Amino acid sequence: MKTILLRAALICVALCGAAQAEEVLLDDSLYEDAPAEEAVPDPFEHFNRMVFEFNDVTYTWLMEPVASAYSNTLPKDVRQAVDNFCYNLQEPVRFVNTLLQLRFADAGTVLTRFVINTIGGVGGLGDVAGREFGFKRVEAGLGETLETWGVPDGVYLVAPLLGATTTRELTGTALDGLAMTPYYFFANTWQESILIYVGRRVNNISLRLGEYEGAKGLTIDPYTAFRDGYFQYRKQSRHHSTPRVDEKL
Amino acid sequence: MKTVLRSLLILFLLALAGTGYAAPNPTEQMKPFIERVVAQLKASDFKQDTVDNRIDRIVTLVSEHFDFQEMSKRVVGKPWQSLPQTQRQEFADRFAKLLGHVYLDKVDTYVAMKIEFGKERLENDRAEVKTMFVDAAKSIPVSYVMMLKGEKWMAYDVFVEGISLVRNYMEQFKGIPQDQFIPTLDKKLQELKAGAKK
Repeated sequence: MKTILLRAALICVALCGAAQAEEVLLDDSLYEDAPAEEAVPDPFEHFNRMVFEFNDVTYTWLMEPVASAYSNTLPKDVRQAVDNFCYNLQEPVRFVNTLLQLRFADAGTVLTRFVINTIGGVGGLGDVAGREFGFKRVEAGLGETLETWGVPDGVYLVAPLLGATTTRELTGTALDGLAMTPYYFFANTWQESILIYVGRRVNNISLRLGEYEGAKGLTIDPYTAFRDGYFQYRKQSRHHSTPRVDEKL
Repeated sequence: MKTVLRSLLILFLLALAGTGYAAPNPTEQMKPFIERVVAQLKASDFKQDTVDNRIDRIVTLVSEHFDFQEMSKRVVGKPWQSLPQTQRQEFADRFAKLLGHVYLDKVDTYVAMKIEFGKERLENDRAEVKTMFVDAAKSIPVSYVMMLKGEKWMAYDVFVEGISLVRNYMEQFKGIPQDQFIPTLDKKLQELKAGAKK
């Protein structure tokens, strides 16, 4: 009982502390090496680099051309609506994760978004909640829930097609994905489920054409750049208790 | 005697505080500067210029409020201390050109999106100015982290969607031997020049 109370108190302290956290440090500590206990090891770097190359080739020669052709057949508004629809389907999973992370205000936002967008946005095709009512998207996944519960990252991994992740985050993504399967009500077989997943990815890429190539082109070591970018972005995107960077304006 | 001296010291400090020295406002300095950079990128004569000239022009302009030496110092990390001054300058010059290519690569973004200025943060001689690139579909947060040098705020890092550009390059340079810093940058610049939009 004591342990549970202590853990609850620690989570509260962590949440309160996060309220004062800032995304950007105005000193030089950001440019110092991360302490060993915070750094996520990359013991499979050689293998990860090979998967990175595979993903790069797959993206450049398959996903991007398909997404590009797809973008020529459907207008951006329609593709955005498809993206909104898929995003809205995942809101219940996000809702559960925000609750598991004790982020009650965010849970309220996710639920509100889901109700408004499902009803007012015609099944989630439109993001009425964000556009008209200012309820911005809230991210929450099982990887983050596990982090909140004290589960360590494990090791850095580059997963085929998924990209940069860690053992913990990959587990979270996989379980979040499984939780989503009941929503693929129109899929009868696992092959159809995969097809739907690929379709979602292609639609998503079609809205961000050129971004990957642009970012990669400016790097000296793409593997290291994307690994660091992944950890920096993840750290920034998990400052939930303070308004996100874009909301501070 | 001690009491008199202490009183004088307190009076002196109070007098200093009373002069009301105020550091220049970082947003007020950055706003016209960024507007000039955008105007430069949009200018038709700029678009028609050669890649080398475009890079030189953008680096010259951006140098007004970007401190490439401070950026390079952080990118290189500890080995910076042992680099001779000439190599530091060579590195900073090349790194400036690399960032020039970042601007060239993002020229369409600058042209198509509106830039909104947000809150600023001030801590001693450091400041952060938040901006947002906005269009109908998305918004990209871009923050400039700066230090006060004389009367000028000079950026030493740029955060795009929360990712520090300098920290990212720092990680990449960790795996490169010190004697390969300049050749690596030269090779990258050649690649970028070859692939730059005409």
